[in-house]
Amino acid sequence: MPQIPIIMPQLGESIAEATIVNFSVQAGDTVEADQNVVEVETNKANLTVTSPCRGRVRQWLARVGESYPVGAVLGYLDATAEDAARVGLDTSGPAGAAAAADLNGKSEGGRPAQPPGVEPIVRGLPVPASAGGASYMSPRLKARMAELGLHAADLAGVAGSGAAGRVTVQDFERFVAGLETHRMTQASPMRVSVADAMRRSWTRPLASVGLPFCLDPILAHRKASHPKAAPTLYGLRALALALAENSAPAGRLVGQKIVHPKAIDIGWAVEVEDGVLVPVLRNADRFTLRELIPQYEALLEQARQRRLSPEATGGSIATVTNFGTFGLTWATPIPLPEQTLVLGMGAGRRVPHWSAEKHQFVPIMEANLTLSFDHRVLDGGAAGRLLTRVVHLLGHPERL
Amino acid sequence: MSVTYLEAIRAAQARALAEDPRVFIYGQDVGAFGGAFKATKNLAREFPGRVVDAPISEDAMVGLAVGAAIEGMRPIVEMQFADFSTAGFNQIVNQAATLFWRTEVPCPIVIRLPGGGTSGSGPFHSQSMESVYAHYPGLLVFTPATVEDAYSMLLEAVALDDPVIFCEHKLLYYHLKAERLPTEALPAGKARVTRPGRDLTIVAYSAMVHEALAAAAELQPEGWEIEVVDLRSVKPLDTDTVVASVARTGRLLCVGESWPWGGVTAEVLARVASEGFELLDAPPQRLNAKDTPIPFHPTLWAAHRPTARSIAAAARNLLRS
Amino acid sequence: MVQAAITTDVTPAEASFGALCRRAYRLMLLARIAEEKLAGLYRAGQIQGGVFLGRGQEALSVAAGLALRPGDVFAPLIRDAAGRLAFGEPLVDAVRTYLGSRLGPMRGRDGNVHRGRPREGYLPMISHLGAMISVVNGVLFARRLKGQSGSVGLACVGDGATSAGSFHEGLNQAAVERLPLVLVVANNQYAYSTPNSRQFACRDLTDKAAGYGVGCLSVDGTDLQACLRVLADAVGRARAGGGPQMVVARLLRLCGHGEHDDASYVDPQLRASALGRDCLKVAEQQLLQDGLAQPAELEAWRAEALSEVERTVAQVQHEPAPDPFQEEWRAIATEALVETHAAPPLPPRPGALKQA
Repeated sequence: MPQIPIIMPQLGESIAEATIVNFSVQAGDTVEADQNVVEVETNKANLTVTSPCRGRVRQWLARVGESYPVGAVLGYLDATAEDAARVGLDTSGPAGAAAAADLNGKSEGGRPAQPPGVEPIVRGLPVPASAGGASYMSPRLKARMAELGLHAADLAGVAGSGAAGRVTVQDFERFVAGLETHRMTQASPMRVSVADAMRRSWTRPLASVGLPFCLDPILAHRKASHPKAAPTLYGLRALALALAENSAPAGRLVGQKIVHPKAIDIGWAVEVEDGVLVPVLRNADRFTLRELIPQYEALLEQARQRRLSPEATGGSIATVTNFGTFGLTWATPIPLPEQTLVLGMGAGRRVPHWSAEKHQFVPIMEANLTLSFDHRVLDGGAAGRLLTRVVHLLGHPERL
Repeated sequence: MSVTYLEAIRAAQARALAEDPRVFIYGQDVGAFGGAFKATKNLAREFPGRVVDAPISEDAMVGLAVGAAIEGMRPIVEMQFADFSTAGFNQIVNQAATLFWRTEVPCPIVIRLPGGGTSGSGPFHSQSMESVYAHYPGLLVFTPATVEDAYSMLLEAVALDDPVIFCEHKLLYYHLKAERLPTEALPAGKARVTRPGRDLTIVAYSAMVHEALAAAAELQPEGWEIEVVDLRSVKPLDTDTVVASVARTGRLLCVGESWPWGGVTAEVLARVASEGFELLDAPPQRLNAKDTPIPFHPTLWAAHRPTARSIAAAARNLLRS
Repeated sequence: MVQAAITTDVTPAEASFGALCRRAYRLMLLARIAEEKLAGLYRAGQIQGGVFLGRGQEALSVAAGLALRPGDVFAPLIRDAAGRLAFGEPLVDAVRTYLGSRLGPMRGRDGNVHRGRPREGYLPMISHLGAMISVVNGVLFARRLKGQSGSVGLACVGDGATSAGSFHEGLNQAAVERLPLVLVVANNQYAYSTPNSRQFACRDLTDKAAGYGVGCLSVDGTDLQACLRVLADAVGRARAGGGPQMVVARLLRLCGHGEHDDASYVDPQLRASALGRDCLKVAEQQLLQDGLAQPAELEAWRAEALSEVERTVAQVQHEPAPDPFQEEWRAIATEALVETHAAPPLPPRPGALKQA
């Protein structure tokens, strides 16, 4: 009776090995084809290994708690030649019989030991490493997705039934057909555009740092000013000055080059129906806060009416978003896909602040400032220093 | 009343001889003896002088046919075995296949090849020659899988103005039966979807169509619906029908009895990969005979060529990938 | 039309033989001069592929062509320029095929000696020696099936071709079917560089005829009058139902295998012997000796031949070459069955597509 090896399968892209958690069946048990026989753990998930064909478990070579590479023989099934052939297993060649080495390096039946093969094998058919796995999309799948205007992000919720968990076109068509049973409304062009920008931005490793700052100087300055600058403009002007001193944090990484900003053009997020627009103040480092007010107000109005010209948006090197206007104290916004930085301003709250002079808690208005950034370009230290500088500048609004 | 694949071939020849005075048959032992496989039984008697025994000279047989074609006749040359046609290879590929291209004079000859493996026939009585001849421009290559196609495609081959290599399969000669001869037919150049399906397309021709159908039957209880496409002619090859099938199923397995290197299966895969790349949900696969001469011993022979079992196994792999 | 120089005191048969000799000579002369011109064009780089001349073989070849009648079948080989002209091929067909004119009978698809007009019984050779014999057989066989009698088919081969399997099969087939085939074997002593001693082991090629059960005649290939008589004899026997007839001619190739070959391997003794005589000169002498032509006529004929060759070449040199973009790239007659998916499309003519 041919012995069919139970082999550690390809478990996912870049997974080279897994640890045995437990055996669902023991030596002597009869199993059907595709029945779960072993539970294994990778650094990403717990998975099950299934029986290659119908048969009786002859023995387990692997041990619970030990790790084995993809392709290693975990145990053997006794199966009839017919059952083996039924699932395409070749019982005549060395691959199908007892020629594979056991895991201690000793050979079965006196044949020389084979090194544990890491050749990806699924059900006896060698599958190229890239043609299986959750991230693999076949040409047909790609074509269908392009037809429907979908991206890999849209498939996040689809479990794949293909080799090593890939999403087959049948899985996809079932998913799409399933959507049809729900109520669906058309996303606005604004929504689709924001979705695309956020998806593209998210392809980078993003991180956030935050710092609370005292709002009182700004509140006092504002009270005494005519005309009054919006709080967002204070943040924008402070960021502009900080970047004028050192524009490196606003550089972009393209391949192995840092692309430096040409001008300190800074935009700010304006909420419009179903989305966000970002008007831009050009050369914000060269104009005082007061000088920027008319342009700010004009662009804000145009943004709200969705009458922004193309020259008024785009090309900025950083963005400011005042989520405090929504009452939020903390947020981690996502930078625009073409930018490295976004500065976030939260809502002010009255909080107790320890005064070393008075040796007691005193009430102050405090708000959080956050900086979300592309971590490929700068690290926490540089981000922290930029944020600290902005906080300092915001503490002296008369100099903005 | 039933008719075998071989009887259909004989009936087609009889009809061709009866309806067209330009037709004659030339081959070894075709006359009084009726041919090694009896494909011309009684025809020499029915059509005196038009079913002529040739000496063992495949080269001269084909050359004579070309000369006769130049003179306006429509000769049918019977090779005793497909494997022996290589003794006349030069005349087929350099004389018959080039005549029209070089001179604008058509060459309406049919060369009938009893081919394909049967148990115990060995390396020189089992070959499938379609891939070799299809490679040469100027030839048409027909590979009927059914009794009806054997009949209608042979009649069509005689009627066409171009040289047709008519690949008959010996395994089908006596064992494949139909109730009656057809009255209408698909033209050559059109493939047939013999079995519609949903999950995977098997493209096959000649005897392999029957193996593919058996494989499909084996997979049906497992929940798979396999579509089987019978090419009928490998040259011209009905790319449109094949691609349309792959559009339906997304998976392709092409099966052929000839050898792996550069044959019909390679041609089908190349066309689907280049014209239907985005229809494929999995890499296209093919199954051929092993890359060795055809063995004599029945046990070796049975493992040498694709069978329903090995086709089903290959299909399963493809369905799960 | 050739003027017959009739002298008195000859019988009608002799007179007509005399006219035949004159006609034959003029055709040989034209073939010789045309081939010299082709050799020159080849050396000037104006001809593609190989150029193979029939120098020394003109007498045999012209005799074969002249022995045939309209309606017969002729399958010449590479050294049969004279025979082709004799069978009725216009000189311009040959020149067009060599110079690659689109207007030639092969339209550029084949070239040089690979030319013919199959529907007129003039079969275009393929390179494989001996392969045309069974094709001639096929034409004759078909005519017999159709109830037509009276034609003869004539195939030319050299000593080398007698070693080819297709020669054996073709001759055997003709013999078994008792077809009216005349097989002319020009033994010019060399197949490329291979002498007879490395080509066959029988005493003489005529010995083979008995092995096939066919008739055989032998002839001095340098002697025009002998060739004319022997070929007429062979053709007559075949036409009368005598079955296949083999004619073996002895001569020497007076040029290289092709114009790329200097033939330095040819035995000088052969060259110096009677075998090495130039059949054109021999024919000339015969005409003069027998009073069938005057020296002045010979001069005039030469001048006419030169002029005809020059004129034809000049005309053809102005003709267009085949245009790959105009070509119908189709190898089968049945348009509906052409494969559209196998071959990639031809790239557009340079400059045909402008960027929009």
